[in-house]
Amino acid sequence: MADSTARPISGAPQARTRRRFPVVRFSVTAVLAAIIFFPVYTNLMGGFKTNGQVFADPFGLPRPFTLDAFASILGRSGEFWHFFYNSTLIAAATILLTLAASLAAGIALSRISFRGRSTLYNFFVMGLMFPLTVAILPLYLQLRDFGLLGSRLGVILAEAAFSLPLSIFIITGFFREIPWELQDAVAIDGGGIMTFAVRVCLPLSTPVITTVTIVTLIMSWNQFLLPLIVLSDADSFTIPLGVMQFQGQFTTGWNLIMAFVTVSIVPVALFYIFLQRYIVAGLTAGATKG
Amino acid sequence: MIGHQRKKLQTMGSGPVALLLIAPAFVLFTLFVVIPVIQAGYYSVFHWNGMGPASDFRGLGNFRQMTQHPVFATALQNNLVLIVVSLVVQLPLAFLLAMLVGRRSFPGVMIFRSIFFFPYVLAEIVTGIIWKFIYHPQVGVPTMLARLFGADGAQIGLLGEPNAAFSAILVVVVWKYLGFHMILYIAGLQGVSKDLEDAAVVDGASKLQVVRHVIIPSIRNTIVISVFLSVIGSLNIFDVVWALGQGGPVHSTETLVTYLYNFGFRRFAFGYGSAVAVVIFLLSFAFNFLYQRFIVREQTNG
Repeated sequence: MADSTARPISGAPQARTRRRFPVVRFSVTAVLAAIIFFPVYTNLMGGFKTNGQVFADPFGLPRPFTLDAFASILGRSGEFWHFFYNSTLIAAATILLTLAASLAAGIALSRISFRGRSTLYNFFVMGLMFPLTVAILPLYLQLRDFGLLGSRLGVILAEAAFSLPLSIFIITGFFREIPWELQDAVAIDGGGIMTFAVRVCLPLSTPVITTVTIVTLIMSWNQFLLPLIVLSDADSFTIPLGVMQFQGQFTTGWNLIMAFVTVSIVPVALFYIFLQRYIVAGLTAGATKG
Repeated sequence: MIGHQRKKLQTMGSGPVALLLIAPAFVLFTLFVVIPVIQAGYYSVFHWNGMGPASDFRGLGNFRQMTQHPVFATALQNNLVLIVVSLVVQLPLAFLLAMLVGRRSFPGVMIFRSIFFFPYVLAEIVTGIIWKFIYHPQVGVPTMLARLFGADGAQIGLLGEPNAAFSAILVVVVWKYLGFHMILYIAGLQGVSKDLEDAAVVDGASKLQVVRHVIIPSIRNTIVISVFLSVIGSLNIFDVVWALGQGGPVHSTETLVTYLYNFGFRRFAFGYGSAVAVVIFLLSFAFNFLYQRFIVREQTNG
């Protein structure tokens, strides 16, 4: 760079001035966005069409615009509401169980000195290496032996168990950072570990509780393999199982399938729109667990 | 792992209290994670239909049988192809998206970011069904494109074509996880020193040179994580493949986990299926081990 001394004069001020609207960058982004959004768009439109129109004009706007497909999904059979209820129930219970178990364990693993603490901690965190798929067959047998096959409780227990390593990792890490002075202050006031946990740690834990909730919710809401092997009765199906079954029943009624898919996306989309900031933070925290 | 990093004013809690607090997590984790994982290893050396005790010991017979099964070879190959595509196509694309929408912003940048991220939020099964229509033989995108370019009456059913089905699935997988990796890179890009970049520009570096010599080295940690998650995720892929054809047509889109499901669970071959699970675990473990040893370590030293 022979002219490195000459450049700053012409280059630096330019870099500092406000950039004009980046036409090229915007156009490339817009084109990519259009391509990436296209499948979702097609599905959204399809739900508002008649089945004939889905095939006559698969990618156009709905003309005429009809709500028949949605009426049939959400009305009559009410199947969707079953699936929605099951997914919500399973996700909520999984989250509560995961949080309760890992907050309790997290306190002990970060704030109480006892023999074997780090062994226990490593025991849990080692679980990060085992994806659900590796244990799925014995898990099926285990649930069978407990009489939990076909029951939502079986799904809840297994999902919570597999959520524990990450949530214990996140929560213990967070509790460790709470200043020891606070614990000493509680001790001086005559409080014990439970006072410290409930009065000091819990109120401070909103960020990690949010993170664990979001990660667990997404995992549970989208989980397919586990409910697929555990649940057999359509009455206890979650949304992913329900969508899959529905799709199998109505292979020709694509407007119905698309409406069904759209309805199943709505809760996720709402959730995403309102909690976007936390979701991204939660997933990045989950991902960088390394 | 946990240092006693303070002078204790007063010890709080005791061993029994600690164990009581840990008990629920311990029981849950042991029953539904640890025991099944160990059992998978144990069952893998038996021929067993899941009824009664496992007694028909086969040694490494299940593994030998796997190596001789052409469908297993297909599954393994598909997983490897998926890993390569994730690394060579998906990650650079995700990085490009992050560069487009992750930094100096323009109006509407958050909307674009959400659009790119949205596929990741969808359930894998839902993703599969959405794409099943996009690949519809009569009216799907490939068919429409072919007709647009003059092939009247063409019908292209990629998912029904053993030679093309897995490629079609690869597109869906890239589409689905692109946004997730974009988010990782956006987070990484926030840590890139603006001064360093400006300095490079001042020194006459081109945009590409800035990317190559300033940005990429600065987000090395992010790349390391993104590669890791891609590989582990690829080895465990199931839902999307399942929704797009359950491993068919004629087992051409089988992956290790669909293979486990189709040839283990569906046939009540719990010994054989467990052996497949062991293989999946060993592959993940080997990758994890080598990666930590050669890539992650180097990073902490350098």
